[in-house]
Amino acid sequence: MAVKFFGQFLVEQGIVTSEALLNAINLQDKNNLKIGEMAMEMGLISPADIQRAHNAQMSKDMRLGDLLVEMGFLTLAQLNDVITRQKNTHLYIGEALVQVGALTSSELQKHLDAFKADQAKYISNGIELPITSAHSEIWEMTADLTYKMVTRVLDLQFRPGKCVVATTLAPNFMLAAMDLSGDVEARYLISVSEGLQKTIAKAILNETSVDDEPAEVLEDTVMEFVNVVCGNVAAKASQMGIIMNINPPVTIHPPAQGLPVPDGHTALSFPIHIQDGDTMELVLLIKN
Amino acid sequence: MKKVLVVDDSLSVARQLEKIIGESGDFTCVGHAKNGAEAIKMNHTEDPEIICMDMNMPGMDGLTALRTLSVMDKDVKVVMVTSLGGVGDKFTEALKLGAKNVISKPFEADNVLRILREL
Repeated sequence: MAVKFFGQFLVEQGIVTSEALLNAINLQDKNNLKIGEMAMEMGLISPADIQRAHNAQMSKDMRLGDLLVEMGFLTLAQLNDVITRQKNTHLYIGEALVQVGALTSSELQKHLDAFKADQAKYISNGIELPITSAHSEIWEMTADLTYKMVTRVLDLQFRPGKCVVATTLAPNFMLAAMDLSGDVEARYLISVSEGLQKTIAKAILNETSVDDEPAEVLEDTVMEFVNVVCGNVAAKASQMGIIMNINPPVTIHPPAQGLPVPDGHTALSFPIHIQDGDTMELVLLIKN
Repeated sequence: MKKVLVVDDSLSVARQLEKIIGESGDFTCVGHAKNGAEAIKMNHTEDPEIICMDMNMPGMDGLTALRTLSVMDKDVKVVMVTSLGGVGDKFTEALKLGAKNVISKPFEADNVLRILREL
């Protein structure tokens, strides 16, 4: 019911043991050479060249391959050859599991098919952003995965509204927020009415009534929804090659006039119109 | 019945897990710790056989607590229950630190109980 990678799926389903998966990951680590290691194995550069490039990386935000070209250790054509060889010799986790004897080739195909079917519900659909920004694809995926979780976790029918750039975060009963860091810096916020907070609480706690629940528990359920969405967004982002760290969620009670968007940030607002007429709002506060 | 300690900063997740564990017939929940430091203390006082622990918690996080528990108590079996299960590096780190399995959030009761029974 969540975004997973293949190895995790196999362990969680009890198909391979965690020890077998770790053996396969160790085999991958030995086999799948990094750019510098591959260039060295191809006899194109020396360990001293790599060391100099690594030292230069401390003051330059560049990938090692690009830096090796800029410093004249590799030509662009050589770098492309290295990347091609890296791709051609890459050992995938499924193949590694076969090599360590945890799966047969026919079992691998069967479980890959089951994995693809399990994850099909998380394949991204197109979302249009009103602006172009670095990592636009990450924010599109974030909105898309939020919509999917509203359906799967909260079991709510809804219509996504048009995404707009906001200058103020509109007032509402409560907001649950989570800070995202790593390759991207942003704050993920979900804004809900009092009624929607109860709807979320019923879904998360799997209860038909939450009227007797303390406010602390009701707020916690919205934070947990945000935690579940952002954790799965981080998983998707890692599949896209982006490191995204998440932090514990917090609750915000906005004043009646709303909250201004802080300087140096862009706020993308995604209205989520729920079937009963209520509206939830997803806001991505992205650091410029 | 095997004793299970739940470790999660979220009250609602703790409620969900306590309910699943309590209704299973095979396990009993011996408490709820809200972060890694509390988990280490309660592992000492409650002596659970299984710990279901979140990764992303304020104060001491789940992986730091797992690192300590794997040194202090070789017998306790730790299962991570986290929204970060699908992040490959986090998953692999948890297994390397000795976690028996990693359950992704949102989770299903049947899946949680199947994994706990297989330990």
